[in-house]
This record gives sequence, C-alpha cells and structure tokens, in this order.
Amino acid sequence: KAMCSGKLQTGLLGVGYFIYLLAGAAVFQALERSAEKEEKIAAAQMKEAFLQNFTHLTVAEMEQFMKNLTEAIQNGVYPVGNESQFEDSNWDFSNSFFFAGTVVSTIGYGTLRPKTAGGQIFCVFFALFGIPLNIVFLHRVGKMLSLLCKKLGKFLHEKGMQKKKIKFLTLLFFLVTGILVFLCLPSLFFQITEGWSYSEGIYFAFITLSTIGFGDYVVGKQPDRHYFSYYRTLVAIWILFGLAWIALLFNL
Amino acid sequence: VMLVLYTGYVGLGAAVLRALERPAEVRAAQHLLQQHWELLANHSCLQGPTLQRLIEDIIQAYKSGITLQGNTTSLSRWDFSGSFFFSISTITTIGYGNLSPNTSAGRIFCILFALFGIPLNLVLLNEIGQLMLLGVQNCAHCLEEVFHWQKKTSLLIKTCALATGLLVFLLLPPLLFSDKEGWSYEEGFYYSFITLSTIGFGDYVIGINPDRTYPGWYKNVISVWILFGMAWLALVIKFCINFLE
Repeated sequence: KAMCSGKLQTGLLGVGYFIYLLAGAAVFQALERSAEKEEKIAAAQMKEAFLQNFTHLTVAEMEQFMKNLTEAIQNGVYPVGNESQFEDSNWDFSNSFFFAGTVVSTIGYGTLRPKTAGGQIFCVFFALFGIPLNIVFLHRVGKMLSLLCKKLGKFLHEKGMQKKKIKFLTLLFFLVTGILVFLCLPSLFFQITEGWSYSEGIYFAFITLSTIGFGDYVVGKQPDRHYFSYYRTLVAIWILFGLAWIALLFNL
Repeated sequence: VMLVLYTGYVGLGAAVLRALERPAEVRAAQHLLQQHWELLANHSCLQGPTLQRLIEDIIQAYKSGITLQGNTTSLSRWDFSGSFFFSISTITTIGYGNLSPNTSAGRIFCILFALFGIPLNLVLLNEIGQLMLLGVQNCAHCLEEVFHWQKKTSLLIKTCALATGLLVFLLLPPLLFSDKEGWSYEEGFYYSFITLSTIGFGDYVIGINPDRTYPGWYKNVISVWILFGMAWLALVIKFCINFLE
C-alpha cells in the first residue's frame, strides 16, 4: 500500500511539475513578447535606413551602424531575411515552455533570456521555487527507478547470483544502456535534424544533461531548417529522462 | 587540501583550453577584421546581398564570441584569466556560454574536464556547506551557554544565518556590480541569483566589458563569492527540500 501511495505521490508531483512549467511559460511569454517585437522592428528599420542611404554615409556612420548591428545581435535579434521574421517569435508558447524548462533544470542555455526587468524578476522567483521542485521530482523518479533495480537484483539473487556481482552488473547495465540511449542515439538523431556532426551532437548531449548548458548549440535554432511540430517537446522529454537517469546513477 | 586540489584542477583546465582555443580565435578575429575593412573601403558599392552576408558573418562571429569594437575586435577572450573563469563556469555547471570552445579538441577536452570536474566541485561544495553548518551550530552552542536560552535558539540562529547569507550573497554583491559593471541594482541581483543557482544564462557576465577597467582582485573575489554562495544556496535548497518531503 505504501508503494501505491508513493507512486501516486510521484505522479501528482509530476503533474504539478508540468503545470508549473506551463504557468511559467505563459507568464514569460506575456512579459517578453512585446518587447521582443519592438526590438525586431527597430533592427529592421535600422537595416532599411542603412540600405537606403549607404552611398551617402560617412565612415563614422558606418562604424555606428556596425555597432548598432552588433548590439542588436547581442540582444538576440537577428535582422536577416525579410518581413516573415516578425511572425515567428522567440517567445511563442512552445519556446517559452522550453525556456521555463531550462530555467528549472538549471541548464540555462541563454540563447533565449528575459530582457524586461519584469521578466528577469519573475525568472528569479520562478527559479527559486522551480529548482527545488525539479530536484524533488527527479529525486523521486530516481528512487522509483532504483526500486525497480532492486527488484531486478532480488530476482537475480534468487536465481543464485552473488550480491556483489548483482550490484556491479546492474550498475554497469544502467550505465551502458544510459550512455547508449541518452548520449549515442540522440547524437545520431541530431545529425539528421540539426545537421551537426556526430561529435558535436555528443558534445551538445553532454553539456545539456550535465546542466552546464553553454548555449553554443541549442536544438531548433537554425534559421534555415524546418523542424517537425513536436521536435522541441520530444527533446524536452529526452532531457527530462536523461536527468532522471543521472539522478538514478547517483542513487545507485 | 581539497581547496588546493580544486584550484589546481581548474588551473590545469584553464591552461589546456587556452592552448587549444587561442589560435583559432585569433584567426577568426583576423578574418572578421579583414571583412570589416574591405567593406569600409568599398562601401559606396554595397548592395543588399553583401550586407546580408556581412550580417550573417557578424552573427557567426558573435556566436564564436568575437564582436567588432571600433577598430579592433574583442580578442583575448581565451587569455589565462578568461580560460580560468571558463573552467570554473564549466565545473560548477553554471555554463555562461559567452565563451565556449570552438575547436573540436577543445570540446572533447571540455567534456572530459567536466566529467571529473563536476563531481570534484560537488564534493568541495558539500565540504564548504558542512563547514558553514558547523560554524552556525557552534555559534548556536555558544549563545546557548552564554544566555541560557533553550531550543528556540536553534530556529533563531538558523534564521539569522539565512539572513546573513542572503545579505552577503544576494543583496550586497549587486551594489559592487553596479559600481564595477554599471548594471542597475535589479540587474545585479538577477545576475547573482542566476549565477549562484548555476542556471547561468550568460546574458550578464562580469568582467567582459571592454570599455571598463577592473581591479586585479576583482575576478578572484568573484570566484570565491561564487563558490561560497553556491554552497550556501545549496544548503538553503537542501533545507527547502527536507521541509517539502
């Protein structure tokens, strides 16, 4: 019975976790989207003005333009392409959800980040409660998985294996399957969807699952590629299970 | 002893990364500079596609951590101080990303470095946390003996310790940052929290503004602050979790 209530608790926790992320995504979207649109318009106007007048510009004005351009890029606004760029926002719902996930898991890529003061303050409080929530959730999932391990161990023990050998084997088994499923296979997947090389894919997988999250490689960010609809959701699920796997390894 | 080992490990990583990344960085910066000068020389003949390409190149260079600043580029990101800070940001899993390895050898080294560095970091943080906890408990004992209070002191001491930590790690540093980096107080607070929680977006990073001069002790003090602050925050979160469960 205790097992049942434990599972129920974990399930509820999972649902609560998911709802927390959804709520955060909605708030971030509300806070950041309009500011982003303004920046995009400003950058495009700057580019237009430049193109109209470049023959009359002095060297100093050129320098100023380059500086403004660099600043825009540093703010995450890339004035390439034409008008259609205004429609895809960095802060549409699925991107905001992904962002909320990277905050709570402390990965923090940084390619997407709150620029309004309100967004930043909300981010701090969102993380303050979200990170413990994330840790507790992963801890629970890790525990459940390790209980499964123990069951497996018991089964093998009854078949006559020694305890030490069982422990070693289960550790090895999870390590190897984990590396395969969470590092090697996804890298193959990313080779197809992102066009990265295999080693870049492994680098990305490692940097993400260790929660370092540099942000030099991020899924779904190449402007000239088309991603199928649930790509980011799939990647988010992979990240979640990968982190749970690492939590399991710590428990073993 | 742990601290020496830790510093040594980080220093080693810094040296290796610097050796791996610096040459590539120099080359990329030179390339961008060259393009910049070509553009300026020919700007009367500039057309749409050329501008497009230039923008894309600047974006590419920016992603590699190089930006155009006046007549030069913001080079020397991978000098020793920069690499050292990068190594710290890696093994603490903060991972700012404003600086990240571009050469394939640098990336492989980064993975191996983190693989051993992150557990090392966790062990060190744990030790620092235990030391802090011990210190607080000793204080509590002292006060109990001096003032003959009872169990209530435990809660009082814990709140005091929490408040002090909050002050030292989250509320005071933004003042330092607004002086040295020119950020607003809110930005400094945001940066402090994002760093200590190891999220580390990288939108704000200390010590990389080329228009400012930083005193020699600045980066070292910040590194110490990061370590102790992370240990403190980890303790706080641990208490939060114990409370939740």
